[in-house]
Amino acid sequence: MNIAVEFVVVVFKIVWSFVLAGTKWFVRMREKSVVGQVCLITGAGSGLGRLFAKEFARRGATLVLWDINREGNEETAEMVRDIYRKITSKGEIIGGIQDVPCQPQVYTFVCDVSKRESVYHTAEKVRAEVGNIDFLINNAGVVSGHHLLECPDELIERTMMVNCHAHFWTTKAFLPKMLEQNRGHIVTIASTLGLFTTAGVEDYCASKFGAIGFHESLSHELKAADKDGIKMTLVCPFLVDTGMFKGCKIRKEMAPFFPPLKPEYCVTQAMRAILTDQEMVCTPRAMYVVTFMKTILPFEAIVCMYRFIGADKCMYPFLAHCKESMNNNETKISS
Amino acid sequence: MDPKNICSAVLFPIQMLYSIIKAGMSLLLPTKRRDLSGDVVLITGGGRGIGRHLAHEFAKQGAKKVILWGRTEKCLQETSEEITLLGTECHYFVCDVGNREKVYQQAKLLREKVGDVTILVNNAAVVHGKSLMNSDDDALLKTQHINTLGQFWTTKAFLPRMLELCNGHVVCINSILSISSIPGAIDYCTSKASSLAFMESLTLGLLDCPGVGCTTVLPFHTNTEMFQGMRVRFPQLFPPLKPEMVAQRTVEAVRSNKAFVYLPWTMHILIVLKNLLPLSALEEIQKFAGCYTCMNTFKGRT
Repeated sequence: MNIAVEFVVVVFKIVWSFVLAGTKWFVRMREKSVVGQVCLITGAGSGLGRLFAKEFARRGATLVLWDINREGNEETAEMVRDIYRKITSKGEIIGGIQDVPCQPQVYTFVCDVSKRESVYHTAEKVRAEVGNIDFLINNAGVVSGHHLLECPDELIERTMMVNCHAHFWTTKAFLPKMLEQNRGHIVTIASTLGLFTTAGVEDYCASKFGAIGFHESLSHELKAADKDGIKMTLVCPFLVDTGMFKGCKIRKEMAPFFPPLKPEYCVTQAMRAILTDQEMVCTPRAMYVVTFMKTILPFEAIVCMYRFIGADKCMYPFLAHCKESMNNNETKISS
Repeated sequence: MDPKNICSAVLFPIQMLYSIIKAGMSLLLPTKRRDLSGDVVLITGGGRGIGRHLAHEFAKQGAKKVILWGRTEKCLQETSEEITLLGTECHYFVCDVGNREKVYQQAKLLREKVGDVTILVNNAAVVHGKSLMNSDDDALLKTQHINTLGQFWTTKAFLPRMLELCNGHVVCINSILSISSIPGAIDYCTSKASSLAFMESLTLGLLDCPGVGCTTVLPFHTNTEMFQGMRVRFPQLFPPLKPEMVAQRTVEAVRSNKAFVYLPWTMHILIVLKNLLPLSALEEIQKFAGCYTCMNTFKGRT
């Protein structure tokens, strides 16, 4: 095809994408229904994973919960069953669809996503007991809670294995069927610490940047293969108040502008993005501004901005808190 | 609001403006440059590619000693001989940075035999170069271990002494693919993104440590064996970089303590566009530029 013609077509496509993006700002997109669809969530035993499970349950989806912690996972499953009882008895499902064609169910599996064999083995069990999955929510995450030079190497490896490498295995386990059917949705729960970093949490930032790098690479691969039926959403929440980063503090005068997010708010925003096939969502929206500033400002100015917000050392109190707890013999590796 | 906070709030825009002007000026005016004559430089993956050129450049610019780490003894030996011929003391050790125990072992040996490393260049990298479903699981992990975790281990091995001496520099040869990924190199893009975050976080943490700095270099496609076969659509518009140029600019950045270097400078435009354009627009541009097919001809290193 003539290069000039192709160039003109590309320009038109770019302008059109701006028009579409602009429309999405003003027109509220309709959320897709997930009734009867199967949603797999890693790290469902606590934090955001649990909240996502409840949200999907309210919308009538069948849930497959993975977590390394059996107790937490079962607790989430109980909450989900409670929600199922409410929606099937009252016939109320968020999304407006009143008929529940099949009884949604919840399945729990204990799985250590950092171990490749565990993921593949559990995926086989899911395929046998549940069938194919429609949504894959890569949510499981840990942080070591130590400064780099004080951090045991095993914990650094663990952070990378759970937060980043696990995505390779879960995606490889479930993507083939999605590719076959050209249908599915992969969600990566990353963090704003996957878009910019702060001092002291090198392992966590590296793992989240890696997860985002993986997500974007995969997104390009799917686009190159013309698999437009497989959707991908990247969720980047700012500090969520789940206790994972307890003690983290930005400058107190700036705190009203960047408060730690309520987990429910973060999940509500994320659900909207997922159900409207939005490619990326940052909560709060102010994070878009920070990431944009990062690309245009010289490094010294970025440092100046971070120091003003108190973001450059915001993790130091969290790390000190971890150290203190370790000295008091508590385990501080939370997932 | 107490006076201290009011002062901070007023000073902030002035400080920002000052940093921007200072950065602009540093592009035009010569800045204070580090004298390499007392420096012991360790280059991982120093046997070939960009690493080999870095060794030459550091030697040329007056480094006291150059040490090479790598996996292939033959390449290390050849490069070491070339550097010695230039008149700079050069040693090499076989070490796979993906192997944590080996890194610590070799680091100890290095300290005893040669001395304290003052400039650490994390350059070693591999690429598997296949789509996710075609990638071998072990190969995926190997890339993560060498490209990302290897940097954790080398930094943990050498940074404490740099902090003690208040003299040191950690360099990372990263890639533009860490920020703008392409299909067909998922292992590499993931590992480079992780490595970039590691360096950025480290750079922020070391701001308060006098004498110890960081430099991260993000080059576009460089003409070495590692990515052989990779071909962009408009090579006249976007020619691959010469490894000598990457090496030269890296050493310059180390000497002027520059934190982040994009090669070529036009990569800045790419990054700004990435943040401004809707994803579908970006995808169309990448497709048109041939990024979606550039890895189809990838041969790589066996």
